[in-house]
Amino acid sequence: MSDKMYQPTNLLNKWVQENNELVNKCKFAFASSFQQQEGGGDTLSRDQNQTPLRSYSSEFHKLLRKIQGVPPLVNHTHLELSVVYNACVCSTAQSQFTEAELLLIQAIQRALQMTGDEPVASNRTVFWRTVLKSVGNTTFNTCVRYLLCLQWAIWLATCQLTIIQELKEELSSLFETLCGGVGDDKKNEARGKSSDIPLLVTDPRGLVELLQICTSIIQGAERLSEGQSSEALSALQTASSLPAPRALLAYVHFLSGSCLAHMSRPQMALQCYRKALVTDACCVSALYQSMLIYRQLGNTQAEIQALRLLQSTLMLPSVTVPALATTHLLSPSLLLCSQSLSSLLSVPSALSVLHSLALKCVLHGRVSEGVEHYLDLLAALHSEDQHGVHAEAPALPRLPELYLEAGAALLMARRPADCMALCNEVISTTLELLPEKVVLEDPEETSEAETRDMSVDGEDRVGMLLWTGAAYLLQGHCHTHLKDWKQAVTHYTRCINLLVRVRFKKKGFQPQITSGDMVVKQGTHLCILQRLKGLSLAGRGISFTQTDQLKEALRDLLLSLQASPECVGAGLWCGEVLWRLGRRQEAAACWEKTWSFTTQHHSAEGLPVYLQEPQSGPLLDSTELRHRIQELGPN
Amino acid sequence: MEGRCAVETWTEFGFSGTPYTPKIKFGLGTNVFLCTGSDEVFVFSTQERKLRAVLQFPGPVSDLVECHDKQLLYVSCRSGVYCISFPFLLSRVQSSPADASSSPAELKISSDFLVVGEEGALSLLLVSSVLLILSQRDTSWLLSLYKTPEQTQSSSYEMLGSFRLPQVLADLNSDTEGQTGTRRRPVLVCVHPGHPKSPSSSSTSSSEMTITDSHFCLEPVLFKLLFGIDAALARSPVILCGLPDGRLCFLPLRLPGSQLRVLRSLEQPVVFVGASVVMETGPGLARCLVAVGEQGRVVLMKTDKGEPEGGGDMAGFIEGCVPGPVVCSFVDEHHLYYSTGSDLLVLDLSEGSSWREGKERDGETSRKTAAAFQSPTSLNVCRVIALAAPALNTTGDVQLLGLTIRGQLQRIILPAGREDAGSSNLPSTQVGRSVRDLLSAIGDVCERASVLKTAIKSKNQILRHLNHVLNISFLLLANKNSEEHLPMQEKQIRCYAETRWSRLLQKDSLNLTCVLDNSSPYVLEQGWTLSITVFPLSYSSSAEGESSSTNFSFPFHNLNPGETLEVSLPLSAAGDTSFPMRVSCSLIFSLSSLLGEEETAHLPSLQSSCISLPLNTLTVDWLHTLQVNSPTMHPISRNATSQSSNITTDTVQAFLNSHRSRCAGRGEGGGEGASKAEREQCSASVRVSSELLRDTLVLKSSDLDPRGPKSTPQNLCSSLLDWLLYESPEGVKMGHQGDRFVLSSSVVHARGPTGDTVKLTAKEVNVGEESLRAIEVQIESSSIAAVCGLHHAVLRRIQYQWRRRQQEVYFGLSSWCCFLWQCNNLQPPTSTCV
Repeated sequence: MSDKMYQPTNLLNKWVQENNELVNKCKFAFASSFQQQEGGGDTLSRDQNQTPLRSYSSEFHKLLRKIQGVPPLVNHTHLELSVVYNACVCSTAQSQFTEAELLLIQAIQRALQMTGDEPVASNRTVFWRTVLKSVGNTTFNTCVRYLLCLQWAIWLATCQLTIIQELKEELSSLFETLCGGVGDDKKNEARGKSSDIPLLVTDPRGLVELLQICTSIIQGAERLSEGQSSEALSALQTASSLPAPRALLAYVHFLSGSCLAHMSRPQMALQCYRKALVTDACCVSALYQSMLIYRQLGNTQAEIQALRLLQSTLMLPSVTVPALATTHLLSPSLLLCSQSLSSLLSVPSALSVLHSLALKCVLHGRVSEGVEHYLDLLAALHSEDQHGVHAEAPALPRLPELYLEAGAALLMARRPADCMALCNEVISTTLELLPEKVVLEDPEETSEAETRDMSVDGEDRVGMLLWTGAAYLLQGHCHTHLKDWKQAVTHYTRCINLLVRVRFKKKGFQPQITSGDMVVKQGTHLCILQRLKGLSLAGRGISFTQTDQLKEALRDLLLSLQASPECVGAGLWCGEVLWRLGRRQEAAACWEKTWSFTTQHHSAEGLPVYLQEPQSGPLLDSTELRHRIQELGPN
Repeated sequence: MEGRCAVETWTEFGFSGTPYTPKIKFGLGTNVFLCTGSDEVFVFSTQERKLRAVLQFPGPVSDLVECHDKQLLYVSCRSGVYCISFPFLLSRVQSSPADASSSPAELKISSDFLVVGEEGALSLLLVSSVLLILSQRDTSWLLSLYKTPEQTQSSSYEMLGSFRLPQVLADLNSDTEGQTGTRRRPVLVCVHPGHPKSPSSSSTSSSEMTITDSHFCLEPVLFKLLFGIDAALARSPVILCGLPDGRLCFLPLRLPGSQLRVLRSLEQPVVFVGASVVMETGPGLARCLVAVGEQGRVVLMKTDKGEPEGGGDMAGFIEGCVPGPVVCSFVDEHHLYYSTGSDLLVLDLSEGSSWREGKERDGETSRKTAAAFQSPTSLNVCRVIALAAPALNTTGDVQLLGLTIRGQLQRIILPAGREDAGSSNLPSTQVGRSVRDLLSAIGDVCERASVLKTAIKSKNQILRHLNHVLNISFLLLANKNSEEHLPMQEKQIRCYAETRWSRLLQKDSLNLTCVLDNSSPYVLEQGWTLSITVFPLSYSSSAEGESSSTNFSFPFHNLNPGETLEVSLPLSAAGDTSFPMRVSCSLIFSLSSLLGEEETAHLPSLQSSCISLPLNTLTVDWLHTLQVNSPTMHPISRNATSQSSNITTDTVQAFLNSHRSRCAGRGEGGGEGASKAEREQCSASVRVSSELLRDTLVLKSSDLDPRGPKSTPQNLCSSLLDWLLYESPEGVKMGHQGDRFVLSSSVVHARGPTGDTVKLTAKEVNVGEESLRAIEVQIESSSIAAVCGLHHAVLRRIQYQWRRRQQEVYFGLSSWCCFLWQCNNLQPPTSTCV
């Protein structure tokens, strides 16, 4: 052993061999784990990779300490810098950036001690410039360049974009020399075959390509978030011709699209998004953004189409996390950690996409499709595999609302039994918790009151009551649909009985039963309450007309119109009852008024789908009514 | 004997001071897993009543959980979560040879079994196929969800996500951690909405849920009230997590976008979260959630029936406090069992079910609640630190499995008919068992009694100790008040001292040996410290004098009445002339020594508090520092004696006249100076009335000196010198190297602390014309400092003695002494009248 200590050539060979063995082991392990990853479809094994990576990292560091135990020698430098490269790659892959950077700088300073001049380390830009200059055409020129690649990776991973910008020229020349110099590359490969050349864990050429495109992406994203869309666009367009993995190119196209969307060129943006999708079919953010553009343009069919695609893509197991092909030890996801990029790329969860899809379908006439989506959504919520880990906005609506929406959709699809089952679920959940009496505060304070109610035991009691009411209402609609008038009256009555528990309190006044002449803001509890009252009373009134209880019917319909004047069914049926009672003039006036309302307002738009007027009940033909008025007219 | 229960010790493990709280868990058929917080997990067979296997992990085990369906055991360790399959475990256990009865199989669990490399995992929970890991990161709690693979062989655990909850600042855990070094494991349980209508979703797992101790089925209304409608609609299991910072958090597991939210804060580390039926309504549906805090706070969460008008049902939180710290706890259908470490207690929860029924009687019910919480029934089982319910409950009586602090695994069988007292007629088959139970219960009571006894004993000890301390304090304080009147010898606790020159490494140094004499009837016990402060008298008023004081502390263990404690301290090195020194002694008692170290550790204010009682103050003057030369060596001194004897004095009155004699003239003066002494000699003298001296000295030494009153002037002179040098009127005396030689002459040669030779001469002189006889003490030295110091010392001694004498015998003496002293290059003459 002691003999060997005095034979540096032997020692050198031994170290080179050790390094090469490590590199081969590391490459093999990584390749096999990558294959496993491909095969198993498991995207999250980066964590698993950490453990062997950690051991390789420590092995490289150990080897490096051995090498650096000897004073710097010119013929050792190539080996030493190669080992530094390997060790730093391992450290960086484990996100130990500062450690890697320190190691790198120290190694270069040590190497430069041999050339004689020592650069100042205070400023990184100056440091690298002097290093590159003093290295010049020495033997370890390439090694230092490789280390600069790593330094670049570290800057990128830690989002130090200003330094990258400052060293733009050096880095681009680095890119050109490493990728452009074909002859040099061949020579390297030729040399690499012999066993006395130290191997590297990752190919620097591939690394620099990756760095180039990642830098373009991050810079694009930063500029876009700063509002410099056109500058970002031009930079991205040059980047789109770079050699890069498909996923990253898709990002470039996606960002270009986002720039264009910012510059209000939706059609061009759509083109870019399409390009992104063509490049990488899993680029869900492009899909999502195109969906938003379609929504903005009012192209409902395209929006639904995009939603459907987005949903099915998100449901694929591998796409939930943006999986970037990790052919390198340094994965793109490690390098692309900019906050603005991730916010641009963020996509709502599969479930919330599914919900928007279902709702859109139901609202735009694709009821049966919408129903299927709603059922899928409910099934997903009840599956064992569902875990509430996707907490990002926009979140789903509250579950009871989801149930009610699904119920309304089922009713629209003429599946009253299923609708009733869903409503029963809601009712059985909430019924025991409903308050006997509840006071609704002045609209101005509603939000405050809600929060206070929430804080008592986590639930909004008024909201709960309204959900139950809506469930009864839907059940009433179901029975109306089935022409079971008695049951319909029972359920509408239950709804009404619930609703009268709510007293409305204006500031400084006694609590009172709400009436129709109050100004009601959209979306508040009060608004929903009034709408529910109007609909349930109208439903009961219409049911009474079917059993020829005209007096009760008229009372309910009038009350309904008082609570919610925009109820078309109530208005028409009120006229019908009046007509049947022989009050034909009043009936005519009532009809006229209702028609004028329908042309004026579309107040039902902001309301949940389960508060829309039912389309399935007994209907009155408007032309026939007009005909009657005309007949009446001369009188 | 209502609360008597049978305790059967199954096995014993030795363990102590582990980093995590121990845990017992049933699993693997009839086996019990024990994790004591150390690196090992023990597998104990309840059928064979023996230890079957020991699993050795690479680090301390914090928690374990088993998966019934897939026959897996998950164990969390410092480095991550390990997964061991039962078949593997059993094969290893059985593969060990037939003599397995003697020793359990030992399995070393390597990192091959590591499935999730999450560091610092504290608690585990398995909900169907999801493994939940609660760990503590720097400033937050982290709940991570991992999907367990379908196949046992596959090792990929997909992380589904994680939830973060920031830690609150006040870490309540520090208390326990500081005391025992044990980290309390956060409690992690799963609550399922027990929905009778939907057997489809939970039919397979419901049987398992009710059995295992971390899964409960909760009554639907309460579930909705506590965790919200959405969780109930989605039938999502809810994870409840009781943190050591006192918060009880919940997380609906299957609800999209759910977050870890705080349900309640116990404001003390959560020890246990469980569910109880309380009232038997639904099959196996819990009607009440119970959370127990470390300091005894119990929170019951149940449904409150709403008032007839107004709101519907509400979630009711009933808080109470059971006495004593809660080490571990367990809930069965009606009872809450908890161990305080010294006793196992049971609280009847069904009593409390009526606590909230009438709202109009709120005051009364709350009183009843408090009373019910305050009066748990003792089961007389001590030292239990972990509890679990056995999986098999064949006989119907309540069985608990306990782990004691000594590492004993015990089966605790509670008496079956504890409620109905009429179960006295036991069938004959049970009589034998009953006797055995009784015996073991007696044994347990004995053990418990001994624990209590030692506690009482130590309390008594402390009280007795405190009593002594108070007695001594009063004694010394009384002394202090009457210090002027009481002569030192009458103090019952006092210090006296002796100076002694010692020579070490060719350097002379003066040591002071202080003796603490306890002649009081009380023992100075542990906790007392003798504190001695030494400071130069002459600088005591100035600022630099303050800094030159030195403090010595001597803690001692026990000083019985009549005993003495001797301590030695360095007073000054040779050459130091900062005499006279004042030595102030005091006794200090530190309150923290009353209690043990553990008790005082968390009372930092007590650590510094102490009682300081001054004893007495001693003065070390120049005379004490003299090193007397043996008379045989100095012929000159003999001459001096003969000279002094020539002088005859016969005056009664004494006055002081001090004069300067310059034997050799001024230094620059003449050649004759070289003949006698090289430097100028200073001298000072003090004259004291002979009669007075005779009175005092003779009176003093009459018992020693047989010659009594017939002492000659010669004797008087030598006894005066003797008295000056060797007596200790104020408690300090000069030690003697070797034998004390009797001063026969009236001249003493000595060396002062600076090394100068000093000559003390006593002779009888006539003063004035009225032939007053006086003894003149002359001090001669080449060092002015020595002369000054010695003169001062002689004066002080005589003054002190004079004052004493005045007090003792005769006050009307009209005699007066005048001490006058002059020196050429000193300050103007000062005179003192006594």
